[in-house]
Amino acid sequence: MTIAVKNGPPPIEVRGLRKVFWQATSGQAVVAIDRLDLTIAPREVVAIVGQTGCGKSTFFDMMIGLEPPTEGTLHIGDKSPHTDFDYFRGKIATVFQQDRLLPWRSALDNAKLPLELIRLPEDEQRERAMTWLTRLGLGNFINAYPHELSGGMRQRVAIARAFVVQPDILLADEAFGHLDEVTAAELRETFLALARECGSTAILITHQLEEAISVGDRVVVFGKSAKLLADIRVAQWPKEKYAILREAIQFTLQNNQADPRLAQS
Amino acid sequence: MTASNDELREPVRTFTFPRHTLVSLLIFAVCWEVLSNLAPALGIPPFAVPSLLRIAKSIATITPIDIVVTLARVMAALVASFVLGLALAMAMYRSPSLEKYLHPIIRLFMAVPVVSWILFAVLWFPGVEFRIGFVLVVVCGPVFLVDTLDAMRSVPRELRHMMKSFRPTTLQFFVKLMLPAIVPTIFTSWKVNISLAIRVVTIAELVGAVTGIGHQLSVAQELFSVADVFAWTIVLVALLFMLEAVVARIETRLLRWRA
Repeated sequence: MTIAVKNGPPPIEVRGLRKVFWQATSGQAVVAIDRLDLTIAPREVVAIVGQTGCGKSTFFDMMIGLEPPTEGTLHIGDKSPHTDFDYFRGKIATVFQQDRLLPWRSALDNAKLPLELIRLPEDEQRERAMTWLTRLGLGNFINAYPHELSGGMRQRVAIARAFVVQPDILLADEAFGHLDEVTAAELRETFLALARECGSTAILITHQLEEAISVGDRVVVFGKSAKLLADIRVAQWPKEKYAILREAIQFTLQNNQADPRLAQS
Repeated sequence: MTASNDELREPVRTFTFPRHTLVSLLIFAVCWEVLSNLAPALGIPPFAVPSLLRIAKSIATITPIDIVVTLARVMAALVASFVLGLALAMAMYRSPSLEKYLHPIIRLFMAVPVVSWILFAVLWFPGVEFRIGFVLVVVCGPVFLVDTLDAMRSVPRELRHMMKSFRPTTLQFFVKLMLPAIVPTIFTSWKVNISLAIRVVTIAELVGAVTGIGHQLSVAQELFSVADVFAWTIVLVALLFMLEAVVARIETRLLRWRA
C-alpha cells in the first residue's frame, strides 16, 4: 500500500486567541492563553517550545477541539476544530507523551482504532493498520498486547495509530520526551519523514530545545500565558549557528521576552 | 524489541487440580461424620447432625426442576439487573444532574433490608414470579449500578482524552472505551451479585413461592427433616460455586490481555 499524498491540508489561523479557566477552589481566573496570533502554513512542521505552565497543553487541547476559545478564533481552513468537531474526524490525529494505548487491544487493534471511528470497511482497516505497523517496524508484533511491548514499541504503535487516517494535521505533545535519547531520536526522525511523506501539517509541542530546532521548519516560542515571544524560521539559521539559536531561545524563555538575536528570523 | 510475536503468548493454563480444596473438604467431611456418630454421646439429638449417608440419600431424592426454576429466576433477574444498572450508570455518567437526583434514591434502595423488599413485593404484586423478580432486581440492580458507575469514573483521564481526540460519537466512546475499560469491574460485580442473588432468591422463595430451592427448604423445615435442609443447602452452595466458576472462566478468557 502506498501513501496517497494529500492535495494540501488547510492552513491554521489563530487570531486573538484567549483562554481563561476559572479555578474551582478559589474562583479566580487563570489566563492560560493570552491573545495569541499565529499562522501555520499547509505542510509546515512547527515546533512549539515553552516552559511548564505557559499554555502549550491548553493550545494543544484547543487544536484538538476539546476546549473552546474564551475569545478570538482558531480556524483550520474555514472551520473551527471545536464547533465543527465532527468535521475533523479522521483529519486531526494526535500522539501523546505517554502512548495511551488501550491495554485490552492488540497492537493491530490499537492502530486501527481511528479507522473504526470513521467506519472504514473492516478489511481496509486491517490492511491500513498492518501497513503502518510494518512501516514502523512492528510487522511481527501485530498481535502483541501493550504490556508485552517495550516503551519505544508502544510509542511506535501510537504513531501508527495517528498515521493510519493520513491526517491533515498531526499533533504531538512531548511525544518523544519520555524515551531514551537513541530511541527518541530514531522515532523523531521516523515521525518527521512520515509526516512529510503524508503531506500533513505537523505541530510538535516540546520543552526540549534541541528537539525543537532539529525537527521544526519553524520554532514558535511561547512565554507565560501562551504569549508568542518568538517565531523562528529555522532554515534561515545556518547549522553552525544552532548553538547561538539555542542560547537565544533559552534567554527568551528565561526572561519571558524575545532575545534580540532572534530578530533575524 | 522484547520478543517475537510467536514468543509473546504464554500457554494458557486451563485446569489446575484443586488439591487444597479437596483436602480441606475431606477433613471437614470426616469431622462431620465423627460428630454425627458421637452426637448421642454428646447429648445432641441425632437428627440435628445427620450422617453423610443420610444427607446423600436426601440429595438423591432431590427434584432437578426446583434447581432449574431457582437458577432461571436468578439468571433472568441478574441479566435484567445488569442491563438496567449499566444503562442507568451510563446515563448518570453522561448527566451529572441526573446523577444528583438519582444518587439519593439509589442509596435509599440499598439501605432497605431484603426482608422489607420481600414484604413490599407480597403486598404490592399478585404474581409470584414478578414478586421474586422485583426483589432480586431491586437488590442486585443498585449494586451493578454503583459498581459500573464507579468503574467508569475510574477510567484514566489520559485514555478518555486520547479517545476524545479521535472524535468518537457518544456511542463509539462508550463501546470502544468505557465498556471494555470497565469489564474487570463488571466481572467482580457479577461474582458479588451471584452470591447475593442466590441468598435473596432463597428467602424470597421461602416466603411466597411454591417451586424452587427456597420452597423446598421451607417444606423440609415443616417436615423437620434436617437431612433435607442440608441436602438443599449443599445444592445451593454447589449452584453458587458453579455459577462463580462459569463467570471466572469467561473472565479469564475475556481478560487475557491483562499482564
